[in-house]
Amino acid sequence: MRTSIAPPATRRWPARRRGPASLSGTGPLRRVGVGLMWLIVLANVAGLGWMALQAFRDTRSILATPWGLPKGFSVENFVEAWTVSDFATATWNSTWVTLVSSVLTVAVAAPAAYWLSRQESRLSRGLTLFFVLGLGVPVQVILIPLFVMLNSVRLIDSLVGLNLVYIGLSMPFTVFLLTGFFRSLPAELEEAAALDGASPAGVFWRVMLPMAKGGMLTAFVLQLIGHWNETLLAVTLLHSTENYTLPVALISFVQQQTYSGADWGGLFAGLCIIVLPMLAVYVWLGRRLTEGLTLGMGK
Amino acid sequence: MTTTALPRASSPETRSTPARRGGSLADQRRRLFVPFVGPALLLYVVLFVVPIFGAVWISFHKWAGSGPMTWSGIDNYRGLVADPLFRQSLGNTLKLLFVVGIAIFVLSFAMALVLRDMAGRKIVRSVIFFPHLVNALVYGILVGFIFNPDGLANSILKPLGVDAPPQWLAQDNLFPLIMVTMVWMTTGYYTTILMAGVDRIPPYYYEDCALAGANAWQRLRHVILPLTWDVFGVCAVLWTISSVKIFEIIWIFGASNGTGVPPAQTWTAAVYTYVTAFSGDSIPAYGAATASAVLSLFLVTVLVVLLRRVMRRDVIEF
Repeated sequence: MRTSIAPPATRRWPARRRGPASLSGTGPLRRVGVGLMWLIVLANVAGLGWMALQAFRDTRSILATPWGLPKGFSVENFVEAWTVSDFATATWNSTWVTLVSSVLTVAVAAPAAYWLSRQESRLSRGLTLFFVLGLGVPVQVILIPLFVMLNSVRLIDSLVGLNLVYIGLSMPFTVFLLTGFFRSLPAELEEAAALDGASPAGVFWRVMLPMAKGGMLTAFVLQLIGHWNETLLAVTLLHSTENYTLPVALISFVQQQTYSGADWGGLFAGLCIIVLPMLAVYVWLGRRLTEGLTLGMGK
Repeated sequence: MTTTALPRASSPETRSTPARRGGSLADQRRRLFVPFVGPALLLYVVLFVVPIFGAVWISFHKWAGSGPMTWSGIDNYRGLVADPLFRQSLGNTLKLLFVVGIAIFVLSFAMALVLRDMAGRKIVRSVIFFPHLVNALVYGILVGFIFNPDGLANSILKPLGVDAPPQWLAQDNLFPLIMVTMVWMTTGYYTTILMAGVDRIPPYYYEDCALAGANAWQRLRHVILPLTWDVFGVCAVLWTISSVKIFEIIWIFGASNGTGVPPAQTWTAAVYTYVTAFSGDSIPAYGAATASAVLSLFLVTVLVVLLRRVMRRDVIEF
């Protein structure tokens, strides 16, 4: 990011010492800014680290000494959360709903995005816009009609129903993201493959899909994160404990505490269960995610 | 939806073999409309577009979810405007949109500037981005613990001699606390987007600035802001859309007070919609609930259109 053109260091003008690449003004203010940045980083890491550590302590000691450290790593809270509070079922439900709906979302959206990106017609432009407009619709608008619709086909309180809803809901963003991605791929290879006698479907399957692996992985992981954390629809559509996804289970766990007494240890264990997979995905694919969520939206 | 798939195809009889020989890849591809776009379009229309129109339809009725729907015209909307609870919820949503929004923007922009040439910027960026991937419930619960009477905040204040710490989680203080939490959670995401914009500015602009003797403020005003203006526009639209659906971080505070419903002082438009339709205590009012959601959609639409107007500038090529 810093250019190789080193500016002459002059004492006379302190702001220039840092070179022309420096934007944010003079020395002291900047040092404060840098210090604050590291403080924010520290607070972020410490907050989540603290949560993870407290998950290994029992509620009484958490309340007595909230700054205390666990004495050894007793996994009691996790076992309790997993078995008694039934986070196991919720984790399993969340996992398979998230995986299935994300795979299907990409599988359905990718061909559509490919077609829309390669076709130059009023129809394709109109349809792309039609998909993109969905991005601006707040979820609560479709909440009640979806509830009524699913109720009439007996898909309320059903993970299949929730899956379907997630797939439909993800279409605008995924089609939008992948259309942009397919547009950035060169068309020459397709033409060459077509000259070699490949059918259009074959071109898509054998030429475009391998090239689009990166973009599709990004889209998949973004959906994974979105569906794993989705709360409003899950709360509305799922009613029985055995169908709860993790956010719903967490809410109901917090609700029960007001009757059964606070169980912060168990709660922090539950929070770890919902956060850790996201951390794992982030460590695995961090850069791709950041780019997908920022540059992808910037276009 | 399928019949329009072949706008420029030749007549049906000649389409089979001759087109294959003479037709380009594009011609053949056009025929893949139904298998390629069909499923996505079908799912999108059935599970997204139809419910939107359904919502508008329901909002003109009085309906308890089951039983007969009675047409009531714009009564639901009139009722909402007169309902102090709805006005408060909408007010809270607007607070999130504007107050939290402006705080996020000022902070993210400042952070993007600091981060531009700071050592360790990649680490900082990865860390501050992470909250975007975490369910807001988690932050709600953490804040609930940090600020509970025995929590971390008071345990810091006590040694400092504060004997009567504020009632952090009292009904009237809760919403400001939630607003601060939203800023904490969201700033990193927008910083990352703005950084992408600031990084795009070629270094010779700054060299020009240095030659012209521009001070930091002038550089900000005449170089950085104009060149990142379009990214700001995108961020503003993104925040408008996402702030209107804020729900779970509010909801979790209802779960923890035992009633299942958060205090009315903290409701947002999304919470209002949910409670009006599904809160079990009273007869569900689907009409009023959808009407409030449709108003949210209207709000988003108006604001996005306005933002695009206001933020539109001549694109600066560089």
